[in-house]
Amino acid sequence: MAEKGAGRGLATANKYYQDYGGRARELKKQGQRIMGYLCALAPVEIISAAGFVPFRIKGNVNEPITKADSEMETIVCPLVRSCFDMSLKGKYEFLDGIVIPHACDSIARSYSTISYSLGLPYSHFINIPHTTKDISREFFKAELGTFKESLARFAGKEISDDSLFQAIQLNNEVKAKVRELYQFRKSDPPLISGTEVTKVLVAAMGIPAVEASQLLDDVIDEVKKRASPPVKKLPRIMVVGAEVDDIAFIKLIEDSGANVVVDSMCVGTRDYFFDVDTGQDPLGSIADYYLRKLNCPRTYREWTGEIYEEDLEARFGDIGSFVKDFKVDGVILYILKYCDPFGFEVPARMQYIKSLDTPVLYIEDEYSMSTIARLRTRVQAFLEILAR
Amino acid sequence: MKSQYFAGIDIGSTMTKIAIMNQALLASVVGPTGPEHRKLANEVMEEALAKANLPFEAITYVVATGYGRINVPFADKQITEISCHARGVGYLLPEVRTVIDIGGQDCKGIKLNDNGQAVDFVMNDKCAAGTGRFLEVTAEELGVNLEDMGRLSLEAKNKVEISSTCTVFAAQEVVAKLSAGAPLPDIIAGLHEAIATRIYGMVRRLKIEREVALTGGGAKNIGLVKALEAKLGFPALVPPEPLLTGAIGAALMGRDIVKQAGESGTTLPRSERRLQEVSLFTQ
Amino acid sequence: MEEQKWPEKYPVEGKRGRKYGTVAAMKIGPMVKAAIGSSVEAQQEGKDIAYTFIECNYDEIIRAMDIVPVWTENYAGICGAKRDAQRFLEKAESLNFSRSLCTYALCGLGFDEWREELNDMPPDAPWGGQARPRVMLSSGQILCDPRNKWYQAAQQFQPDVPIYNLTGFYPIYERDADFHETEGYYAKYMMEDLRGLVRFLEEHFHKKMDWDRLWETLRLADETTDLHVECRELRKAVPTPMDTGDAMNCMVPQAFMMGTQEGYNFYKDLRDELKYKVEHKLGVIEDERYRLVWAGGLPSWFALSDFNYFWSKGAVFPVESTYNEQVYSVRELDLPKTDDPLEYIAWRSIRRWTYWYDKARKRPGSEPDVERTINYIEKYNIDGIVVHEAFSCRSWHVGLIWMLNQIAKIYKPIPVLILGKVEKEEKTYREVPSLILESDIIDISSYNEADTRARIDAFVDTLEAVKSR
Repeated sequence: MAEKGAGRGLATANKYYQDYGGRARELKKQGQRIMGYLCALAPVEIISAAGFVPFRIKGNVNEPITKADSEMETIVCPLVRSCFDMSLKGKYEFLDGIVIPHACDSIARSYSTISYSLGLPYSHFINIPHTTKDISREFFKAELGTFKESLARFAGKEISDDSLFQAIQLNNEVKAKVRELYQFRKSDPPLISGTEVTKVLVAAMGIPAVEASQLLDDVIDEVKKRASPPVKKLPRIMVVGAEVDDIAFIKLIEDSGANVVVDSMCVGTRDYFFDVDTGQDPLGSIADYYLRKLNCPRTYREWTGEIYEEDLEARFGDIGSFVKDFKVDGVILYILKYCDPFGFEVPARMQYIKSLDTPVLYIEDEYSMSTIARLRTRVQAFLEILAR
Repeated sequence: MKSQYFAGIDIGSTMTKIAIMNQALLASVVGPTGPEHRKLANEVMEEALAKANLPFEAITYVVATGYGRINVPFADKQITEISCHARGVGYLLPEVRTVIDIGGQDCKGIKLNDNGQAVDFVMNDKCAAGTGRFLEVTAEELGVNLEDMGRLSLEAKNKVEISSTCTVFAAQEVVAKLSAGAPLPDIIAGLHEAIATRIYGMVRRLKIEREVALTGGGAKNIGLVKALEAKLGFPALVPPEPLLTGAIGAALMGRDIVKQAGESGTTLPRSERRLQEVSLFTQ
Repeated sequence: MEEQKWPEKYPVEGKRGRKYGTVAAMKIGPMVKAAIGSSVEAQQEGKDIAYTFIECNYDEIIRAMDIVPVWTENYAGICGAKRDAQRFLEKAESLNFSRSLCTYALCGLGFDEWREELNDMPPDAPWGGQARPRVMLSSGQILCDPRNKWYQAAQQFQPDVPIYNLTGFYPIYERDADFHETEGYYAKYMMEDLRGLVRFLEEHFHKKMDWDRLWETLRLADETTDLHVECRELRKAVPTPMDTGDAMNCMVPQAFMMGTQEGYNFYKDLRDELKYKVEHKLGVIEDERYRLVWAGGLPSWFALSDFNYFWSKGAVFPVESTYNEQVYSVRELDLPKTDDPLEYIAWRSIRRWTYWYDKARKRPGSEPDVERTINYIEKYNIDGIVVHEAFSCRSWHVGLIWMLNQIAKIYKPIPVLILGKVEKEEKTYREVPSLILESDIIDISSYNEADTRARIDAFVDTLEAVKSR
């Protein structure tokens, strides 16, 4: 049974983080069905509405990739390879199926490999347009409809609009609570550390939304009641990147003498800072959310303004807002090697962040924490520069 | 006022350097690092103290930097080599705005402001190409002494192009070219060109500004200096002892810290000052 | 063995010691050089220039509107083939682009930024350089992120050049789903996206689309493709008259000249040449011992001479998958009747990209790429499979290992029927070994000639061992 109660929030989050998948395994034994997925672009609302527990597959920065190499090229994003490696090693043996959204080439092109190798009873690929035009939204809605029908067949029952509506509401609730939790990071020093937040969010992505909602309530309650901040007043850092599904890098920054107070990454603000509309057209609202609201470089945003700086503002403005609202002293741009969507944007992002008069450190890393000594030097040097 | 002494210890992956300073450089030691950093740090420190004719207690503040900086138990503070190299070069050559440090196993570019402080940096510490290691490996393949590589490269008539950036592949490539009859100096010049290309490629990300200083072991290689200058399009400055800029900078940062603490009246956290041998596996 | 009789009009030796199997392939270099030269001239004359990508689905649209295309991937390939890509890759790196990204894009971005800096072509730019465009046409397409982000990245230093981004999807293959149920909305999406493209071009180039002309251009393109298909069929012959090494050149008109008379003429000449050679049993090499399929991966543009090495070992490639993705005759594709050329293009594209789907579903464990390779193995009498892993391209090189593993799993050794001495049909089995080459499309620093040759040697030994069983 999921742990509840005030004072147990962070401890529970830690438990779910350390034993990632443990709760899903328990639920499976109780007769629930678990649907694995990769990436923040998978429509968890549809998965929940169909009666499955959405489970986000993550990698392991401390585990060398071994089994994956016999099936998957090493030029694939290292995070995707690690996810695949962990799956092959049986860490997610409780999965009933896997849903893969068209996030990026590494994910899209590995679909066959992943679905055949894991041999799960169900697998489905969801195409997501690259552009946000109206015709793209229309296409995407149709594609989501195809997914819905496919999942319904596997579930053995229809997915009603009502169940979609409920799933949307529940997930929005979770999002709102995460946003509330982030408010505690605005103080100087913050009332919750970056390491703690990452643990909570990772824990949340491996359990049903209703339990995640409860978990967040408990954490917020606990943090609110803290007599004093858990950290000292230190330089305030924002991490910008793709998927960061482990505390290792966040902890490294904090151990080097800083506080990670906000981010633009998933698992982070990218997954939680916008709601899905609750209107008459749930599938359309879901399409709008994943295509237009969720801000990820894999989606090409049309240039609408006059000058280039306006384009940068349209694409990266959320970073600017966070820097202001959370009083950020420095930004670390943390990009994995072999990441095309972010890789192509690095110079533009750096230009934008510099225009905010905020120092930025660009790190290209390999996901695995075998590089930790090198990372430590860079982060420490950056903090030394900030200290002046 | 009693004279204050500051020590900077720079433990690189290949070489360990110590500088003891008060107003100027009093003593310095450069020695190979080897695997046992902690043990070595003590030995090198003792050697430097002997040269300076000072007991360890006379040292006011010790700053450790470099790859092995966490392995110096008697250091009062650890500061990255980026800040320390900047400080050292800023002191030795105040007109410098870009530092290129070429070490045994890594290379870095550091941008300085007008106060000699680091404001931006780039590093390559993952790939041997662009570091001393590249020359070490290829020198061995060619059967040439590492110290002679630079001089030999200047004797080239027609520089040979080496296309591999991977050290292992490049080593194979030079052997092939040697067997095909290419003159040794031409090949060595090609190798220097290859390293210079890698280093220059990395440093360019900083928008290079004059004056440019070269430091580290690579700066003692006349062939590499020339190759880099060719890339830059202008001469580079090399400090008199290019291996010591990190250690000097570290000592100076120690001096800065003590001065600032004195002015603001704060007490400084100090390490447990023991200069005894610590085995590799102690807590 | 009897000497091959080479007629005057189809001489055997090419330039610079590199043996061209076909005369047609020798024309490609000058054709591309001329095209690049004329695009640079066009820029100087202020003509309508667009950056674009191959297999974009709008070749004919561009041609019908007299817009001069600049094929940025092609230009990067030229830099690679001339072994002059490094300085552009380094330039891109100096801007903080990771070297692990698509090297076509890095080359293009490095080149363009340099051109902007100088307000002139970089010094000694290969073949005169890459013309500055008035618009850039991205085609995200299902398998390529760089094509979705490259031009956007270029806008940082040429912000006055607007982009139209077309997605161009086709349904992904699912084992338990029939793509015919979804292709309708895929076609609709592409059709509308193409309509948006035409509007964009009309707006930016101040001219109207001539729809009749577009139909004509489409017809010409389709006929050109038919000729190309014929060429591919002719290569089934033993000995094969044309090899993948050549095909990497001969794909140029299919990739960059669709809808032009020049493209049509090229494949007509090639078809005639191959027909002649088949009739007279003139093969790429005299002693053809092993027939291989190039089953995936873009070639190393700076190392096409590796094909010469294969030839020296008696190995030829009668067929390849790369650049053949769109080479299917419209007569085979069951296209719906329509008056709308954009609808026509949309369906043609989807049908081409899903060509192998129905066949793949009939064989358990098969997928379109697997099915196509098996088809080639059987139709072209193939002894071995070669793939090339280019490190900077996730789009075309991820999934090759899986494909090889899957073929080995589901495709049992080929039963070969031989009429035995007593007029009985005997079965014998042949394995199909595979080889993985590793390098890159244009970054030569990743290439090790000695290692590559060693792998080819080992592979040939395996082929020989299998053959002599």
